[in-house]
Amino acid sequence: MRFHSILSRIIFLHVIAVGVTSICMPLALYWLLSAAANDLHNGALRENADTIARYLTVRDGSWAIELPAGLKELYSESYGRYAYTVLDSAGHVLLSSLKDGAPIFSSDSRAANTMFLETRRDNATISGASIPKVIDGRPVWIQVAEDLAHRDVLIDDIVAGFLSHVGWITLPILLSLLTIDIVIFRRALRPLVQASDNAGKISPTRTDVRLPVNEIPKEILPLVQAVNQALDRLERGFRVQREFTADAAHELRTPLAILRTRIDTLADQTAVEALRHDIAGMSRIVSQLLDIAELEAFVLDPSERADLRAVCAEVAEFIAPLALGQRKSIALSGADGPVWIKGNPDTVSQAVRNLAENAISHTPEGTTVEIVVQEDGSVCVLDQGPGISEGERELVFRRFWRRDRSRAGGAGLGLSIVQRIVEAHAGTVTVANGAPGGGAQFSLSFVLSN
Amino acid sequence: MRLLVVEDNEDLAGLLAKGLDSAGFTIDRVSNAIEARTALTTTRYSAVVLDLGLPDEDGLGILREIRSRNDPIPVVVLTARAGVRDRVNGLRSGADDYLVKPFAFEELVARLEAVLRRPGRWLGSSLRVGNLVFDTEARQAFIDEQPQALSAREVAVLELLMRRHGRVVTKKLVEDQLFGLSGEVAPNAVEVYVHRLRKQLAEHGAKVQIHTMRGLGYLITEDK
Repeated sequence: MRFHSILSRIIFLHVIAVGVTSICMPLALYWLLSAAANDLHNGALRENADTIARYLTVRDGSWAIELPAGLKELYSESYGRYAYTVLDSAGHVLLSSLKDGAPIFSSDSRAANTMFLETRRDNATISGASIPKVIDGRPVWIQVAEDLAHRDVLIDDIVAGFLSHVGWITLPILLSLLTIDIVIFRRALRPLVQASDNAGKISPTRTDVRLPVNEIPKEILPLVQAVNQALDRLERGFRVQREFTADAAHELRTPLAILRTRIDTLADQTAVEALRHDIAGMSRIVSQLLDIAELEAFVLDPSERADLRAVCAEVAEFIAPLALGQRKSIALSGADGPVWIKGNPDTVSQAVRNLAENAISHTPEGTTVEIVVQEDGSVCVLDQGPGISEGERELVFRRFWRRDRSRAGGAGLGLSIVQRIVEAHAGTVTVANGAPGGGAQFSLSFVLSN
Repeated sequence: MRLLVVEDNEDLAGLLAKGLDSAGFTIDRVSNAIEARTALTTTRYSAVVLDLGLPDEDGLGILREIRSRNDPIPVVVLTARAGVRDRVNGLRSGADDYLVKPFAFEELVARLEAVLRRPGRWLGSSLRVGNLVFDTEARQAFIDEQPQALSAREVAVLELLMRRHGRVVTKKLVEDQLFGLSGEVAPNAVEVYVHRLRKQLAEHGAKVQIHTMRGLGYLITEDK
């Protein structure tokens, strides 16, 4: 079985331990109690034998016993609880409290040491001892016995009632111990829960979060510190990436700006238009490469949202003068009110702008590029150009892919940027040919934000 | 008019100075934030051309300082950063306009003239697109120096368009200007005024086009 929480793992093992202990402990106690009861019983037998030996005498060569009246009563056959026999070294019965004069235990039960024995007699279980003694220099074996049917009732009751009366207490004790332990574990794990909560807040958009180290137990502290150090390195990596793109942007764009300004301020303005066009093309490639570099490190902040309609309106307004400059137009239609999507306004704008710029460059003069924002969080950009054939629909998203390599202009990066942005937003981009009259139709679909 | 150009790249600063000089401005050049501060405290400039990527600190810092002094001096920002977020940051920090490198030199001159022409600013009060001129103080339009008889609302629409020459004026903005926040606006009211204005200008030989950008607004360009 697999557990994902330390607490449930501890509790599971603890429950098993409680189960095993609650069975074993009463059994062990019962066994100890029985042994103690047996010891008591055997001690009593030995004492009885000693008492018998004390009153045993040899007179004129024959054995005799003179028990005090109280004791005699105990060994009487009418009382029936205790009995004794005395055997000599040959195994003959010298004296017996029993009428039939037979030994309680067979005569071969004579040994050098005390033996505890059990036998059956008249359907009763007899428990007793055979104890060697030396009286007047002659070895004898004194056998004493107790009829178990009459054994000490109090001790028996304690032993027999132990499991039902006392043994059950172990289970509740162990269960309350379990409950207390769960509370203790929970308290002990609280700093870890706190640390986990903080770790959950970490994302590429929030690299400043660190795990708290104040209350972390020292066994886990190295792990937490290692995680924090890893986060430091990660944050540094993100910062380096951001600084790189900022520096690269400055280093690449400033020379272009110099070139452009030098051309713009040339006294001789012949041939300037072609040079400007070249710079515009190069600037666009530089911008796109910088966009790609920047997007490598981009991860959407889940809390961010953007009004798709406002973003598209801003892009269309930006593109409008460029479109008019090429005797083309751009229009916005669809949703009237805001369309809130889960997204970063800057990158969504970048994606729409790339599509709109593409559409403007492919739509013929005198035609209009249409941007349609839909309430479902999607936007379509339609042109009236030649459209994109089935076979090219996968290719257009590849980096540096161009239909006509001899044609000046883009580097074939725009659509791969669009795709990267859409992927980062868990959205989709699709391409089709709009009817009627062909023309490419690119659709971006984003996740609506509530 | 005296301009301060804050740009650390010698070549670009030199070219800008030369170009702006021939466009009729007087130029002071500095190449870092410390020099820029000194220049701004000792001289009264008409406008500042500010590069954000300075060697000693971010140009936005200087911009914030200028605005925290309530100094209304027009500032046009130059930057190598092209993101929308950068643009928004720049404008929020108080830039009057914003150009991403590389930019057309004409565009810089046009933007400078536009910010200098805003109310209370240095340049004269007339706006020009092609042969159409609008005097913002007299609120009078001229085509080839001939004064035009336009209704008050047509004048308001024209002023909006000419102040944002080359850029889209949203339909919402025109509605707000014409009818304020209180008035009920008929759905096609703006179209009606724009249509009349367009007709008037065409009849009197204005070499301008008022484009309708469907779903966006209107844009005035020179008719070439």
